Amino acid sequence: MGATVNKTTETAFEPLLQFDMEMEDFLSDWHHCDHVSSYLARMISHNRTDPVRHSNFFSSALNELLEVSFRGGTTDGKIGLSIYRQGATERVQLNFPCPPGQVRFYREAVSRTRESDAQARYLDAISNDLAPSRESVLLDLALNYDARLRLDEDAAPAITLIVDLPLEGMVS
Amino acid sequence: MIAAGLTQRFKVAFDPNSQIFSLAGTIRPRSIDEIAESIHALREAIDAVRGVLYIDVKRLIQMNNTAFQAFIRVALDACRERSDLRLIIITSSVVGWTTRMFRHLSTIEPQISVEVYDSMFYPGQSFVEDTSFIPILRAQTKLTWRHERTILPRHGMRPGIAVADICCGIGDFAVLAQKEFQPARIVALDHSKPSLAYARNVAAEFGVTGIEYTYGDASEMLLEDNQFDFVTCRHSLQIFNQPELLLKELFRIVKPGGRVYITNEKNSHCLGEPRAQSIQWTYNELARLLSHFEMDVELGPKSRRYLADAGFDDILVESFMVTNLDGDPQDFADIIAGWEKMFAAMAARHGEAPEFIDRFRQGFQDHIFAALHPKGYAGWPIWAASGRKPL
Repeated sequence: MGATVNKTTETAFEPLLQFDMEMEDFLSDWHHCDHVSSYLARMISHNRTDPVRHSNFFSSALNELLEVSFRGGTTDGKIGLSIYRQGATERVQLNFPCPPGQVRFYREAVSRTRESDAQARYLDAISNDLAPSRESVLLDLALNYDARLRLDEDAAPAITLIVDLPLEGMVS
Repeated sequence: MIAAGLTQRFKVAFDPNSQIFSLAGTIRPRSIDEIAESIHALREAIDAVRGVLYIDVKRLIQMNNTAFQAFIRVALDACRERSDLRLIIITSSVVGWTTRMFRHLSTIEPQISVEVYDSMFYPGQSFVEDTSFIPILRAQTKLTWRHERTILPRHGMRPGIAVADICCGIGDFAVLAQKEFQPARIVALDHSKPSLAYARNVAAEFGVTGIEYTYGDASEMLLEDNQFDFVTCRHSLQIFNQPELLLKELFRIVKPGGRVYITNEKNSHCLGEPRAQSIQWTYNELARLLSHFEMDVELGPKSRRYLADAGFDDILVESFMVTNLDGDPQDFADIIAGWEKMFAAMAARHGEAPEFIDRFRQGFQDHIFAALHPKGYAGWPIWAASGRKPL
């Protein structure tokens, strides 16, 4: 699993919007995940083929990512969110401070989303666990949203989750 | 049960008669504790049923993984404890993520099946989704627009407002409304993918931008509460078997103080001269025929009552007659020719005798004769009504 972003691919994505917030403020209220995901989804979906349904789908995925950062982040630093577009795909880059001890966890969890047993792992998690783990949430994105996930560790002690979501093709 | 709070804008309900447990709205709790009451309600519903429990999530706008896993935990445990139990999860083709997320349950547990709800909910939908009907719809809008462009401002249409056109069909009304009134935002929703595809193509062809065409179910919309200043729903309450359900949704999405505008017909009042009797007979029979398909094409004058029952105030009702004198009479004749073809097919589907169908067709042909006659008059009456959502 490559830990760095492919800069060639990066330039092909058109920036749509950028959002950042002090992590301490973000973590002060769980509702921020819902509010930010719903608001930003509506903003970036307005010129999709079916803006209402695209926004609903995108909000669903983005909310899960924000909840991951909410549960796994620390109060130091900022949470940064950038959204890009290339054709039918939106790319979410979510940067948030992460305790050094958890970076390995994210590295492995992201890597597992691309492994052949991803579906079996996901089914096992939702069959047996009482509450979702951060790994099962990432698997959910890979399997239910056809997301491709990568991890950028360049900005340590923060991490950046890079998630490509080809939702336009699913919605229309 | 209604759960309040910013992240729990959802409803949980159990109908023991139909054995349907439904989840609707947005459910994004931080922990399972926040939805403990709803989880308990699902357990109780399962305990109360024998055989099949339907779990209806077709109006579930959002659900995070925390809630998803908590609810399915109950469902899976119940299946493991009770071999007699079958769970059927009803998702929606409109809310794409629900179908993709819940589909896994049938893989995990054979006692669970997942079904995608579709347009069969509306008994008459297939007839109006027929793409051959598109030219008729275009001609209809062309003729009604001559009247509605002056009527709409009296009901609240004005520049700069947020408008939703629900059951937008092929989208031509939305285009005309946008050009004439320049709303700040216009969303056009329909449950027919062919109609929406047509609408998007026309918009692209004519360089019309800014109309948000969306695939949706008018009785179960993804649109949020209190979003629009003006909501239109034209010629649609009359073809749905539960118009009060649609009105409830129209009421929900319009802002307090905003207005919902509806148009409907009373087909038995279609008229023409000469050959009035033949025309009258056919349109009386048409209203009777369509009632078999759970369509009330006599709804027009009932609009006031429907709007009042749905909670609207300041109700305005007016009627107008589309006639063969509105521009080219051939346009009127073309509409009636389209009706003859479609309604004769429906009469045949209903099992009417050939003699009936011949006479039935004759009335439409006489209506065309009246429309094209140099001294003739042919009319199609429509009721336009609107109500205000109380502040």
